[in-house]
Amino acid sequence: MRFLFVVPPLTGHINPTVGVGEELRRRGHDVAWVGHPATLEALLPEQATVFPALDDRLEADIRRARLRWLELKGFAVLKFLWEEFLIPLAHAMIPGVQDAVKEYQPDVLIADQQALAGPVVARELGIPWVTSASTPAELIRPLRTIPKVEQWVLGQLRSLSDVDPRFSEILVLVFSSPALVGGCFPPNHVFTGPVLEHRPERGDFPWDWLAEGTRKVLVSLGTLNGPAGRRFFGEVAHAVTDMPDVQVVMVAPPLDAPPNVLVVDRVPQLALMKHMDAVVSHGGHNTVCETLGHGLPLVVAPIRDDQPIIAEQVVSAGAGVRLKYQRVRAPEIRTALRNVLQDPVYAVNARRIQESFRLGGGARTAADHLEAVVA
Amino acid sequence: MSESSVLDEVVRLIAEVVGEDVLLGMEITPETTFSDDLGLESIEFVALADRLRERYGAQVDLVAFLGDMDIDEIMAMTVGQLVDHIQSQPAAHG
Repeated sequence: MRFLFVVPPLTGHINPTVGVGEELRRRGHDVAWVGHPATLEALLPEQATVFPALDDRLEADIRRARLRWLELKGFAVLKFLWEEFLIPLAHAMIPGVQDAVKEYQPDVLIADQQALAGPVVARELGIPWVTSASTPAELIRPLRTIPKVEQWVLGQLRSLSDVDPRFSEILVLVFSSPALVGGCFPPNHVFTGPVLEHRPERGDFPWDWLAEGTRKVLVSLGTLNGPAGRRFFGEVAHAVTDMPDVQVVMVAPPLDAPPNVLVVDRVPQLALMKHMDAVVSHGGHNTVCETLGHGLPLVVAPIRDDQPIIAEQVVSAGAGVRLKYQRVRAPEIRTALRNVLQDPVYAVNARRIQESFRLGGGARTAADHLEAVVA
Repeated sequence: MSESSVLDEVVRLIAEVVGEDVLLGMEITPETTFSDDLGLESIEFVALADRLRERYGAQVDLVAFLGDMDIDEIMAMTVGQLVDHIQSQPAAHG
């Protein structure tokens, strides 16, 4: 069988498809991706088939727009997300996705929830399409209490398609667990847990730096944290200056830091998780689920988008504590770190979520359901 | 209950929802907007609605109040509008 993944130019949305695609390939299927080639090639295995749907100029425009987006607050963020990002991205990607489908002739198209061009083209060309929910935030209908705003979002979607392109009727793959997301979902929603297997990890790490007998913390704010990120990293460095029993690996631009903080621009995150005791994150769904998938507690400081929702899920599960990203100071960070490192209840709850992920079955479950779409 | 004491009370509840730290160095006036100035997101509006109901009773229903607004109206909504809404509820003075 042939499977085509349609993805936006966003690392967190591509990552889960990498492992699912590799699982399908190992089962003898053909797999390809369509999106922004340079972003995809940095994340996929070298032999992967990639079709272009977004050129470098448009991708750069989108990245610049997202930097502007970081300066917005409140509902302006939501308005921007739809009017300036998701809808224009869909229109930009439609011709490339059409070409890819015509050339590759997939049996099933798998569309990320932010790659709305996928369902539009699949319906036009009569291909079955399923949803890849790389974040579970849309599933809980976060705008249900503000009906006119929810209607406004649906209106944006109707400008593209007469069905909601965020939710396939056949299959919605969710890379989380009901234990973390909470609530009840239709039977076509399949919770696989995060897909941590089959992911090529690039980048070296000075493993010798990690000392025996220290508590180790990874600090990562994802790829889009803006100028406030610099302040936050500085506060974390300050917070752990007087914590000699703690070692911090910080994925950040160069900054002054005490000797127990290692600042690096990238890490092999999954390999590193095995050595960590806790993670400080902005609440990006991938990092949060990778952390919980290793049974580690979290300190979450959500920046925007779905991150406040993911952070709330972590707090509700009892697997971490939440901080304010914009204004948090070193003393609160120190207290939060001490709490998750010393109070065993956080790690116990993180391991409970880890077990719920394991039961989800990861890439194998996802591949089983994808094979069943046209079986 | 006077307008200024309702305003003080609303400011206190906002601080509970968004955290005191967010409001440092910021004076909240009736003209302050929830969305652009305070950065309230949808889930924080829901949390504020819960606290308003606890404080003033079921007749102060922020979710219903927002339910009549479209996205541009919510973006432009001010603290003063909420204070007026609370004061217009006859049983909410307490």
